[in-house]
Amino acid sequence: MKPKNYFIKKVMVKTLGQEKSQGITIALFCIILSLLAGALLLLALGKNPLSAYRSILQGAGLWAKPRYAGHRSMLTDFMSLLDYTTPMLFASLSVAVALKCGLFNIGVPGMMIFSGFLATITVGYSTLPGWVARPLVVLIGLASGSLLGAFIGLLKHKFNTNEVVSSIMLNYIISYVTSFFIQTDFIDPLTRQSLKINDATRLTLNDAVLGNLKMDIPLLLPVGLIIVAALGFMLNQTRYGFDLKAVGMNSRASRYAGVTIGRTRILSMGLSGALAGLAGVTYFMGTFASIQPAVLPGTGFDAIAVALLGNSSPPGCLLASLLVTVINNGTTYMSSRMGVLREIASLLTGILLLISACRVFIQVLVQKYKQELENYYQTRKEAIHG
Amino acid sequence: MDNIIINGMAFSMPLFIIAVGGIYSESSGITNLALEGLLGFGAFCGGLTVAVIEHLFPAGSALPMYIALFAATVGGAAYAVLHGVLCITFKANQVISGVVINILSLALTAFLANQINTAVFGKTSNKFLLAVSPRIDIPVVSKIPLAGAFFTSVYPFEFIIIVVAVMAWYVLYKTPAGLRIRACGDNPHAVDAAGGNVAAIRYGAVITSGALSGLGGICFAYSISSNFSPSIFMGFGYLSIAAFIFGNWKILPTLATCLLFGFARSGGYALVTKLELPGSYSDLVLTMPYVLTLVLLIFFSKTNHPPRALGEIYDKGKR
Amino acid sequence: MSLPPESQPVVELRHITKYFPGIIACNDVSFSVNKGEIFALLGENGAGKSTLMSILFGLYEPDKGDIYIRGKKSIISSPNHAARLNIGMVHQHFKLVENQTVCENIILGKEPVTRRFGLFSHLDIKKARKEITGLSALYGLEVDPDKRIDEVPVSTRQKVEILKMLYRNAEILIFDEPTAVLTPQEIEALLSIIRNLREGGKTIILISHKLEEIKQVADRCVILRRGCLTGIMDVKSTSTREMANKMVGREVLFMVKKNEHDFGREVLKVENLSIRRDDGVQTVRNVSFSVREGEIFAVAGVAGNGQGEIAEAIAGLIPCYEGTVVLDGRSVNALSIRERIEAGISFIPEDRQDTGLLLDNSLAENLNLKTYYKAPFSRWGILNKPLFISEADKLIDKYDIRSAEGSATTVRTMSGGNQQKAVIAREIELDSRLLVFVQPTRGLDIGAIETIHSDIIAQRDKGKAVLLISLELDEIMALADTIGIIYNGEFRHVSPAADLTTEKVGEYMMGGSLI
Repeated sequence: MKPKNYFIKKVMVKTLGQEKSQGITIALFCIILSLLAGALLLLALGKNPLSAYRSILQGAGLWAKPRYAGHRSMLTDFMSLLDYTTPMLFASLSVAVALKCGLFNIGVPGMMIFSGFLATITVGYSTLPGWVARPLVVLIGLASGSLLGAFIGLLKHKFNTNEVVSSIMLNYIISYVTSFFIQTDFIDPLTRQSLKINDATRLTLNDAVLGNLKMDIPLLLPVGLIIVAALGFMLNQTRYGFDLKAVGMNSRASRYAGVTIGRTRILSMGLSGALAGLAGVTYFMGTFASIQPAVLPGTGFDAIAVALLGNSSPPGCLLASLLVTVINNGTTYMSSRMGVLREIASLLTGILLLISACRVFIQVLVQKYKQELENYYQTRKEAIHG
Repeated sequence: MDNIIINGMAFSMPLFIIAVGGIYSESSGITNLALEGLLGFGAFCGGLTVAVIEHLFPAGSALPMYIALFAATVGGAAYAVLHGVLCITFKANQVISGVVINILSLALTAFLANQINTAVFGKTSNKFLLAVSPRIDIPVVSKIPLAGAFFTSVYPFEFIIIVVAVMAWYVLYKTPAGLRIRACGDNPHAVDAAGGNVAAIRYGAVITSGALSGLGGICFAYSISSNFSPSIFMGFGYLSIAAFIFGNWKILPTLATCLLFGFARSGGYALVTKLELPGSYSDLVLTMPYVLTLVLLIFFSKTNHPPRALGEIYDKGKR
Repeated sequence: MSLPPESQPVVELRHITKYFPGIIACNDVSFSVNKGEIFALLGENGAGKSTLMSILFGLYEPDKGDIYIRGKKSIISSPNHAARLNIGMVHQHFKLVENQTVCENIILGKEPVTRRFGLFSHLDIKKARKEITGLSALYGLEVDPDKRIDEVPVSTRQKVEILKMLYRNAEILIFDEPTAVLTPQEIEALLSIIRNLREGGKTIILISHKLEEIKQVADRCVILRRGCLTGIMDVKSTSTREMANKMVGREVLFMVKKNEHDFGREVLKVENLSIRRDDGVQTVRNVSFSVREGEIFAVAGVAGNGQGEIAEAIAGLIPCYEGTVVLDGRSVNALSIRERIEAGISFIPEDRQDTGLLLDNSLAENLNLKTYYKAPFSRWGILNKPLFISEADKLIDKYDIRSAEGSATTVRTMSGGNQQKAVIAREIELDSRLLVFVQPTRGLDIGAIETIHSDIIAQRDKGKAVLLISLELDEIMALADTIGIIYNGEFRHVSPAADLTTEKVGEYMMGGSLI
């Protein structure tokens, strides 16, 4: 009997059913669905979705604007996009690495503030020359983040604490405690934020001059790309990656195989924390040069969406970070051009997150259709030959 | 001292009802980290309702508040359907679903609050103002020293929460519906074989958690800031999760934990005022509930007994 | 159809066919059951018996064919519907709620209710208790309604499952492999309960692969093989040999051939082992035994008496509360799981899927699960993936492990039998001194069981020490050189297998003492 909606099922299986490419095809499918949902939303607001999306691309530096301010061009917008993508990339890698080990690191925003703040007060206000200061900042970011991450992992291993709740508690504790210290010792009364760090310590070359253009150059982006490759290699080709993924998939069987669960979890949370630390210093001492007290950076939460969309794979995180940053950055321009609220950016990202969370369901559904079609072809074959 | 009790109760009660909602959902086997988003969405619905209807009532009337409480309950219940769909029908990872619901709630309410304020009321704001809630002193009893503080300056919603909580307790432990909900959390296959509809029971439990969280959310809005704004998302949903974890997924111990959180918070504020510390120290005080949660988590997580089937995706085909 | 209703079959299945992804679970099966009969469904594991009865109970719907209950065509779409037709089922894996009482479990889904103040519905536990006590007395199923399920033994849990059916006025009772978890004495008790139920006018359908029990109690039986019906026969007049043939399709070897030989040095020595659970309950009390080279030491016992814990403690998965585990003269108490693997302990866990395999990894990775971390499979932390594949291919060949894509197959897609073959292959190839096998043939068909039994004997003949823990008494009697019977965490008796009979072993399993 021919399955219902035969044609739709056939198309879905053809495009989404190939096991090798499923990672990418389903992600693309999620993106397209989200864009459609966003388009509907824009239509409901009385705006043209196509021009809205185009102005997002323009704002992000992926399409030419009709006019540019002095010293600005599409290239500078694009560099700004990369500047914002860098912390997002590290943050999403942080979430992804933890996810691969079966752990949910929701504490990325807190870790970002922690490492950003520590690096700011130790190096950011110092007069060290750039070639000493910047590597030092990176080191502090890595060290402080990994300490926090390992702490959360230790709590889980030794005391069986739910890492979602404990990391969220840490988010708020860190946020309020650093806010206290900023307000008392490091506040800039004009900006209501922490005092600006010295340029030599900053991980982004802000307003760097290139020809007659002024652009922001994220110094750590190449490092980020190398880390993406390194993480991919680690997860797929090394023993440590094998252990990490095994614990994430089935801790009982991993233990049976001889893997030390506690150590693996603490190390992977430490790695996750280190990446979050990098996100923190590239955010608070790169893309921005000061910290807003008692505010948890949205990047840390959006990173969850990015990691889910990228299926927790390092290259997936890279592409998804770019996509979400495009949405975030481009929407400022779009909202001013088209009179749409700025808040639509987080809503679009939220919708993307929602649909990405249904990945597994889509995969299972496609698998079901695949089986249905195979049974159908099988019975048809038997009818012909039988 | 009296203030500590009064403010502590005002904080504990909404926290408690949200935790009861969490207990319902998790007792049926669905991990519910979405309480934060649910309380926020409920508060949003309540705030929106007030903004829309308050001009229909004479100034100073408390009726809009009661209608807002109702709207928040319904709103929370409706938004919880999303968590249900993700977890039960789409069989997504329940932790991820919870986190997604929270993030989406923040984005959605911020956007809608702004949009509605601009489009309908013609003002740029992301807040909905609520009238200041009346507070009641119970005659006679409130004059008793110390204990009387529990009956002084009480928000009306505290009574409503107590009534709702008693009803919730009764349903969960004394009725067939509650029996089935708790059975789903231990062994959904047993419920299925007994002819129960596991999915429907779980949806019911999740929607109930949404309703109760929404109620708690609007109560927080009334007691803390007299408005709805994105700052309603302060992690109280996660506090209530910690509360029912310590309460071992039972209603009465959870009440005790919520009271502890409430008094810790109000006690901290009182301490700051007493010691006459500068305002920035209020930041440190605000960390009290979170630090307490973390400490309690560390010491009590080893001995907790979650429902046996909690977080497991229920697949009919598996035998 | 001019037969009077009483002699009409109470259940009739016509041309029932059911597909699952990739297999035909039931293929054009037709038979009927008469009222007041004890009717058996016989077949190996995987033959389709459980699926067929799940269809009758409303858990699945057939893809083709019809069901007639008491002469009327019925479409049974849910267990509720089946209950309305007075059909009840006692499942092989009990479907009970652990943290609720016997009474609450029985009434789940059909709760008696009173109205407090005419408004609020309230569980009427008193009424329920009365009804349950009545049913218990009628059929000889004694239970304490107020005890929690996690506090009662397995045989009581089975009684609860039966009471669940009777509480819903089931007239047709289906039992799915009811004797799998019982001792011989408990099996006797159950069979007499079944006879009681028949006296009470009930119709019983028994699913089993145990020929001896069917012979004892059933009137007629139907035999299934690979989803197809191979025979409907009268039990009294058919020999077990004939039934076995129809089950498997060929002559079945009932005994494996085992040579007698001398045992070598002591390999495993367990001294005064005691194990405590997290909540303080002592699961193993002061157990001591040893296994020598070339010896198969089998631990017999009802599930849950501590044998599983002993195996896990030897493998290192749970800690020893007291006592020592000694391997080749050296204590392994302080060694980690990986160190024990390297010291020479192979372990086949009871739950092959959950513990023994990483289901979402490839067959190659699973076959190397205990060797991937060291040279030559991994150098400087980097995995030598081509080597995984070539090693895996060798094992796939040697042990005839079937899978869709060879060593690249995702293990989840393999059949249970082949998954078990993979685990056994891996553990044997470790060439360990001690092989600890827990329930190695659970859920497998006869062909696979025979292969695994000969593998175990082959390792024994090579001089390995084998610790076999099994719930199948037949398996133990066939393979063991020495048998230790465990009851309540202690060894009731240990002696060479030749000195023991099945009945004696059964007695010890129930805690009986030496006479």
